[in-house]
Amino acid sequence: MSGTLEAFAFWLRGTPVSEAIRVLPWLWPVCEILHFFGLSLLVGVTGFFDCRLLGFLPRVPLSAAWSLMPWARIGFAISAVTGVTFFVGAPDQYVNNLAFLFKLVFLLLAGANALYFEFVFGKRIAESKEGEQAPSAYKTIAALSLVSWFFVVYWGRMLPFIGNAF
Amino acid sequence: MMELLAALENSGFGSWLRESPSIWAYPAVLTLHTLGLGVLVGANAVLDLRLLGYAPGIPLASLERLFPAMWIGFWVNAISGVVLFIGDATTKGTTLVFMAKLLIIVVGVLVLVAIRRTVYGQGVEALIATPKSRLLALASLVLWFLAIVTGRYMAYV
Repeated sequence: MSGTLEAFAFWLRGTPVSEAIRVLPWLWPVCEILHFFGLSLLVGVTGFFDCRLLGFLPRVPLSAAWSLMPWARIGFAISAVTGVTFFVGAPDQYVNNLAFLFKLVFLLLAGANALYFEFVFGKRIAESKEGEQAPSAYKTIAALSLVSWFFVVYWGRMLPFIGNAF
Repeated sequence: MMELLAALENSGFGSWLRESPSIWAYPAVLTLHTLGLGVLVGANAVLDLRLLGYAPGIPLASLERLFPAMWIGFWVNAISGVVLFIGDATTKGTTLVFMAKLLIIVVGVLVLVAIRRTVYGQGVEALIATPKSRLLALASLVLWFLAIVTGRYMAYV
């Protein structure tokens, strides 16, 4: 399994796209800046909504808090695109990296949780009336969201430390 | 000046931070710094977006509760920032980009204080978005973006 991953990483690293990402002077730092900005939007807005679900800021209508979520999705999109760029540019740094594996696991968890909430409860939340309180079932989803996004950021930060990147 | 920076960097604490293989040293402080900025910039972004007119269903008054969270984020970053500085004082203390970063952060915080005074300082009647508050909100977003730019640049210094 590891051999296949390494072979894939080796092949990917040899592609013109991968080389361009590594060679173009400002591309990597610009992607890092965008990645941080994207995660700030994602974590800030999602964190805000999760806190609301957990009962903080109760005077904010659920539908209003939910209406800010497109910004979280924009932040996610920015982080996802730049993240893929990093991977394509230096796959060898990520493929055998334990921290990256954990990051992906938590990313899957956070993403699945978010999608579940969106598809199952999204319409209900968008149409909720002022003064409606979130059912306590939402609190589990909110807590899972906060924890899983935290660990996505944490394992990302740990890539060069616990992981062996760079 | 250089002697002070060198003394800080070579102090027991600075050396420990830099050289300890423990993840509770440099990695932990860096994680706190990332967390702090996530909370500060994230919460500030929510406030700024609302002031710019997005999600108008969110009552401005309710967002006043974000300020304690933002100040906590700020102080976590100020303290972790000082710790990070000590570990690398001679480099950071003589780098123009780092000075720029600090300046941008100071202005960003002043803008945040101005938003608090303008939007939340005048009583319930003033709790509306005005051209002034919109300008402050835009400035806030731009400044934090620039802070991220200069902050990221530090990794290359």
